[in-house]
Amino acid sequence: MTDELINRLAADLHPVRPRTLERRILAAMALGCAITVVGAYLFLDLTMGRPFGGAYGSPMFWTKAGYTLAFGLLGLAAAPALARPHGRIVWPFAAAGLLVVLALGLGTMGWMHQGWAREELMGRTAMVCPWLITLTGLPVLLSLLLALRSTAPRSPTQAGTAAGLVAAGFGALVYAFYCGETGMMFMAVWYTLGMAMTVALGTVIGRFALRW
Amino acid sequence: MQADTTEMRLRALMVAALDGDAGAYRRLLSELTRYLRPWFARRLTPAQASHAEDLVQETLLAVHRRRMTYDRSRPFTAWLHAIAHHKFVDHVRHHAIRPIVHLDDDAPIFAADDSANAADRRDVETILADVPERTGALIRETRLEGASVAEAAARHGMSETAAKVAIHRGLKSLMARFAGGAK
Repeated sequence: MTDELINRLAADLHPVRPRTLERRILAAMALGCAITVVGAYLFLDLTMGRPFGGAYGSPMFWTKAGYTLAFGLLGLAAAPALARPHGRIVWPFAAAGLLVVLALGLGTMGWMHQGWAREELMGRTAMVCPWLITLTGLPVLLSLLLALRSTAPRSPTQAGTAAGLVAAGFGALVYAFYCGETGMMFMAVWYTLGMAMTVALGTVIGRFALRW
Repeated sequence: MQADTTEMRLRALMVAALDGDAGAYRRLLSELTRYLRPWFARRLTPAQASHAEDLVQETLLAVHRRRMTYDRSRPFTAWLHAIAHHKFVDHVRHHAIRPIVHLDDDAPIFAADDSANAADRRDVETILADVPERTGALIRETRLEGASVAEAAARHGMSETAAKVAIHRGLKSLMARFAGGAK
């Protein structure tokens, strides 16, 4: 019976190139980002009337882009390791945590210099920002989770967290192009909250969807 | 050394298989079967020993379907071990939460109570008080509590032979006293 299985599997053998896992993850990320870019243009620009590059030219735009991109890259560093059956990696998550602390610290200092102005924290879009960031991360998240389903994560939960981190970072990055807010504290609180929601979503879905 | 040669041989087969060599792949899978079958069998309880073959097949299937997660620069045996371990843990979890006896078929709880046994146990303790304390303890541990002679002997810091002799003599003297001198 087992011999029969071995014959079947051997007949079904296709070559697998080195680094296939990493390439699959990158391809899934790129596909998700493409959907997010198109979706964000259709939804944020055409439907909600948010102009592309609303905060261009302000240094805060580049801060937001750097902040969100960092999370995406940290997630990409963690994902291939956590997609393996004996994969363990901690530093990307530790670094992400440090980054959040750093942003909140800088944000609080900036906010203090503004005399705790409500505008600095709430901007004009605080109530929709986290939800829209989760929404922009969703295509990346689903595309990544789908790709990870054919891998063998030691912990499906942690693999889901890594997928969530990638989706959070790149989703928020796309959102930053349509966001006109310029407050450091705004970014530290509401961007982080939106990304945290994406990460939590990835963790919960991964826990069930990535079992093998 | 043994482990190293196994690792090198299996890794070479795996890399060849990843490059599309079906012959190497077949050899790899049948070698893995040889290692996996006893590995699972040892870890399963006797009641589930028949699941070893299923687990071997599930592991081979996982190796096949998830072989892109093998990193050629890392040890193959560690990767395979992680997969087999995952399948084993999965199996244990799956079966641990599945009740084996249906409620309707289960034996009734209020059919027999423990008081008769309790009386027996009191009698045993009274009788054992008639032999030396250590002999009594040895008899209780080996005959009533299910310890092996070696375990009981180790617990009392004596050799296995000495324990056997003590148990035999103790039982004999009890027999002489309570069973009317039967041999």
